[in-house]
Amino acid sequence: MFTKTKMATALLGLAVSVAGVAQAADLVIAGRDDLMGRALEQSVAAYQAEHPDMDIELLKLPYGSLYEKLVIGMREGDSSFDLVMIDDTWATEFMSQGWLAELNEDRVSQDFIPALTDISRYPVGQGPLYSLPVVGNVAMFAYRSDLMDEPETWSDVIAQGKQLHTADRSGVVFRGTQGNPIVTGFLPMLWAYGGNIVDGDGAVNFDSPETVAAIRDFVSLREIAPRGIEVYNSGEVRDAIQQNKAAMAIEVWPSWVPTMDDPELSQVVNQVEIIPPPGEVNASTPMLGVWQMGVSANAENAAAAEDFLAYFTSANNQRDLTLSLGLPPTRSSVYSDAEVVDTYRWYPNQLNALRQGAPRPRINAWQELESIMGDYLQLALLGRITPEQAAQQAHQRMAAAL
Amino acid sequence: MFRSGWQPALLLAPALLLLALLTLYPIAYSFVLAFTDAEYQSDALTFVGWANFNTLLNDWFFQQATWNTVRFTVSASVVQVGLGLLLALLFARPFPRRQWLLPLFIYPMMLSTLVCASIWKAWMHFDFGWLNNLFDAVGLSRQPWLSDPALALWSIVLVDTWQWTPMAFLILLAGLQGIPQDIEEAATLEGATPWQQFWHIRLPLLRPYLFLALLLRSIDTFKLFDKVYVLTGGGPAFATETLSLMAYKQGFKFFNLGAASAIAVIMLVIALVLSLAYAWQVMRRPT
Repeated sequence: MFTKTKMATALLGLAVSVAGVAQAADLVIAGRDDLMGRALEQSVAAYQAEHPDMDIELLKLPYGSLYEKLVIGMREGDSSFDLVMIDDTWATEFMSQGWLAELNEDRVSQDFIPALTDISRYPVGQGPLYSLPVVGNVAMFAYRSDLMDEPETWSDVIAQGKQLHTADRSGVVFRGTQGNPIVTGFLPMLWAYGGNIVDGDGAVNFDSPETVAAIRDFVSLREIAPRGIEVYNSGEVRDAIQQNKAAMAIEVWPSWVPTMDDPELSQVVNQVEIIPPPGEVNASTPMLGVWQMGVSANAENAAAAEDFLAYFTSANNQRDLTLSLGLPPTRSSVYSDAEVVDTYRWYPNQLNALRQGAPRPRINAWQELESIMGDYLQLALLGRITPEQAAQQAHQRMAAAL
Repeated sequence: MFRSGWQPALLLAPALLLLALLTLYPIAYSFVLAFTDAEYQSDALTFVGWANFNTLLNDWFFQQATWNTVRFTVSASVVQVGLGLLLALLFARPFPRRQWLLPLFIYPMMLSTLVCASIWKAWMHFDFGWLNNLFDAVGLSRQPWLSDPALALWSIVLVDTWQWTPMAFLILLAGLQGIPQDIEEAATLEGATPWQQFWHIRLPLLRPYLFLALLLRSIDTFKLFDKVYVLTGGGPAFATETLSLMAYKQGFKFFNLGAASAIAVIMLVIALVLSLAYAWQVMRRPT
């Protein structure tokens, strides 16, 4: 007979073996889903081919879930993830809280675009290196070169947009959705008009004549945008420009448009130029939206994490990911690769934008400030409040939040 | 039978302990956080009294979110229960192929809410959406379903009604099928018209089911989050922001745990009032 003691021992053994399996991974990575998730998946497979004994667990999450999971886990000192992917706007919080381990400087190549490794340091450009840039995203501007001349200023964008706006094709398209989307479209405009969100000391500095002028012109874009722009997000912007429904897109991220010249998916093959956004009072200031990866301060497999990160960001791997998936690289050499430039003809412009680019303010409460600004921008876009009220009220709320 | 008084308590203890850990403790802790300025990163709690509630109650965005939530809850619940009643009355009578049609009517309920919202987002696109193409085909003007602040909330009511009317329908169909047939047969013999039978027999007997359907739909619609998250993100111009979405943003985007807990406490109180109203209606003795 199978006695109770034997049964209990067997169950305990089973439980221990299951627990053992659950903790067996040699490296656990938490990253984004979608294009970045596919890039990670492809790289993990290639890395495992070189390290067949290694068990790598990859967790792919949407933007919001990744942030929540990481913040809660890091704050609790959780060691579930060894290597984590973070958005540029989260970097200050993660680095200042000591949630990321310092990386070995010797392994960092000079090939990385300096503006990108600067924001991998805390304090920016000076402190130790906590992450490596893995996706060279920068907000670009797209226009139809067969319909118009390159716009040099935002005033020019508005003027040409009015001329090109018809019932079938809008003058401009942008992300008008409340929150992060509307803000990221607006920021290059704000900077070009000389406005700022915070000053050099980190105090809110949003309520200014420059900000009001930027909001006023941003709001005027609605007249030459598609109906329903208030809920447009990245998918709608990409479709509008690729399906010949808009003459300009004021905000285009490289990872959205790898199919711009694909005749099966695009109606505007070779008719769209992708350039850094225009200037106005100030010169063009492209906004960086770089994704970074760092090793968790609580990582159980820190050495393996750093080794995989070195592989993931190597020039060869970046070139493969760019050619196969359209993932924007972060190394200068990949941007000058002949085959890469042949596939993505706007890459030289993109490299310039990355070099000139500016990050969003390096403050811990950026998520909240961005949300506040997004709420008031949309109220102004819909004419519920004036640009002056938007600047003033957003300023007050942001100051209170800080 | 139990031999002594402590045995039932002992047997219930694990379940009660689990309930206390998973439900009562988080609720109690939310109440504590609601009266503090909780610093998430450092774990510091500073008691601030009613400050979080005062700030919220004087905040235009909170007022707007509350008004949106109330409008959505009332309209979606009433429409869904009304439509559910009509469908239940239709399906309570035998007709050919009834068993084939029933699964078709309850199919939207089986979809994941995110899938459902994504489908409707595509259908409601101003330029490419199926709904506006249909409007074009029948000579009606295109509608900015999700981008017009005056229309966006009602568009979400439409999506929720499409998905969740089947739930009210099933509850009420079960209620109708539970009505003893002899009562209706007696009424028919007495010469009662179909309307009189509905008004004086079916409706009073359905009352607990109607309240149950209303309660379940009210509680569910009151928590509205995922559809808004996918369809509008709370916009345009805060026209579809709900209390749940606001609590989520405060809690998990900004980690303002005090404000998020205060919103959760307010929502809990409102849900409690709804539940008590239902309990009072169901439990009261017939006059």
